[in-house]
Amino acid sequence: MDLSQLFNVAQLANALALASLLTILASGLALIFGLRDAMNFGHGAFYMLGAYLGYSVSNRLSFWAALIVVPLLLALVGAVFELAVLRPLQKRSRMDVALITFGLALVIGPAIYKVWGTAPLSVEAPPALAGSVQLLGTMYPVYRLFLIAVGFGACVALALWLKYTRSGMHTRAVSQQPHIARMMGVNTDRLSLLVVCLGTGFAGLAGVLAGPYLSVDPGMGASILISCLIVVVVGGLGSIGGAIAAAVVYGFIQVIGTVLFPSLAVLAPYLLLFVVLLWRPQGFGRGRVA
Amino acid sequence: MNAVAAPPSTASSPTRARVVRSGASSRWWLWLLVVAIGVFVPKVVTSPFYLSLVINGMILGVAAVGIGFLMHQCGLVMFGVAAFIGLPAYLVGLASAQLGLGLNMAVLLALLASTLFAVLVGALVVRARPLPFAMLTLALAQMLKSVATLQAMRPLTGGDDGLAMTFNGTFLTLTQSELAKPAVFWPVAWIALCAVLTLAWCAGRARFGQILRATQANEERMRFSGFDTYVPRLIAFTLAAFIVSVSGVLIALNSAFASAELLDFATGGHALVAMLVGGGGTVGGPLVGALLYTWGQDAFGATGHLELFTGIAVVAVIAAFPQGATGFVLQLWRRERKADHGGGDAARGADHAAR
Repeated sequence: MDLSQLFNVAQLANALALASLLTILASGLALIFGLRDAMNFGHGAFYMLGAYLGYSVSNRLSFWAALIVVPLLLALVGAVFELAVLRPLQKRSRMDVALITFGLALVIGPAIYKVWGTAPLSVEAPPALAGSVQLLGTMYPVYRLFLIAVGFGACVALALWLKYTRSGMHTRAVSQQPHIARMMGVNTDRLSLLVVCLGTGFAGLAGVLAGPYLSVDPGMGASILISCLIVVVVGGLGSIGGAIAAAVVYGFIQVIGTVLFPSLAVLAPYLLLFVVLLWRPQGFGRGRVA
Repeated sequence: MNAVAAPPSTASSPTRARVVRSGASSRWWLWLLVVAIGVFVPKVVTSPFYLSLVINGMILGVAAVGIGFLMHQCGLVMFGVAAFIGLPAYLVGLASAQLGLGLNMAVLLALLASTLFAVLVGALVVRARPLPFAMLTLALAQMLKSVATLQAMRPLTGGDDGLAMTFNGTFLTLTQSELAKPAVFWPVAWIALCAVLTLAWCAGRARFGQILRATQANEERMRFSGFDTYVPRLIAFTLAAFIVSVSGVLIALNSAFASAELLDFATGGHALVAMLVGGGGTVGGPLVGALLYTWGQDAFGATGHLELFTGIAVVAVIAAFPQGATGFVLQLWRRERKADHGGGDAARGADHAAR
């Protein structure tokens, strides 16, 4: 076993590429959980919808158009989701809402197969991002660097919004103390419409970004959902900072595991989950305990 | 069926306790009679198609009863049911092929090992609150699926191709080819189902069940009152996992085949949906749901939109009937009785105590 492989720049970048995808998704999931107190098991399906829409839009127009249009479309889906599902059900138990979103995932999946078929599709990276670039002595695909940049850019934007705007402050307040925030005059319904749209829009963004990186196939929603849930639980439910940290750790563990123990790498995330829950049941962040 | 479908009500007053106890022995005889008559169903229904359809429903029902028990008594929903369906199924095959055990021993070993595994996992996961619990069990199922499809495990589990089993010897005098016949397999599935229903019903009615429901209602208060809340929940999880394992063993016996599909998210989804559609509030509810679900699978399966209908069913049932089909019917029945006699309050009170 050559340990120097671990500190390879390419491996590092691979870990970050996976992490940035997960960060985008998990922060959306954490946002929705914080505000609506609902674990959205349909998040994987929204991501898959984003990827398939991204495939269609990049074929018709261009990848760049898809990057703008698809998150907006998904935000629209999010608005419907908030108004038709989350808002009427806010008095119901957490488990009921979780199960309904799970049911929605079962509906969205087949609806997608109906439109696009079940064969895996591939999305080409735009010409500007195709090919490789010299990165500290190794060749590395440009697209993955772009993915890392967009992923972490989106997270920075999210963090700035949360920290420096009034609506961001309200979001933080509601995530931590929903009742008190409401008593202080925060309109949670209006806020949650914004936040759920943002969360699903992020899922759409992740879907489009995943297109050229992974393939667009019917199983992508379920597999990423599990990773996302692990990230959100490890990061601390409802904590966005925790989710970002956990996504980075997840990416590194996954990639390092692949280098060191190729056959056991698939188990690494689950081990991470169990270890973290034993050592610190509330997760990394200062999220509300669910 | 009636004796089982009744909600496990806690005795709310001394008089009520006496009434229940004196009625209990006659109910037991009735139940045993139903079990005994049920064994002979294949003599009346000879169509192998309908028999195997109902057998599939019963196997699914066993799993649904297990998770229904856990949900009703502890408020924990096991999303990763598939873990305890697939694991014992694989274990039966592995014990037969790798250890060369006879079929009886293989079944016993699979049940024991799966239950032991549930104790180990349960010790970790029942500490979690309901939502993280759901996700942890989901992750567990996914983890087992990854293990089963690992390249290194291919010689043992057959990877994505699945594991075709060749049994050594017989299971309670039934050979492998006989187990595959619906008419011969029926008594095995029926008796397993009845045993599981009885087990869940007794556990729910015992003091153990009362402690579980009280813990679910107010864990802190139970701890203040000097009750250990962790061990009963662990036992409940283990019991539920054992019941689900029975369903996995039944699948292995009937089909002599285990595949990674058994460990899939979707397999667990079937049992979960069946339990929710039927209603977890009663012991028999999940079974009703499983039979309805299997029937629906047959009816909609041909159209190719099975998952779509399943999803719609889940959303509709949870949104409109949170107590499931049996819960809804029971509610109607109670309201009717209250209108007739004006005495529904006591029953409702007892029911409320049971929740």
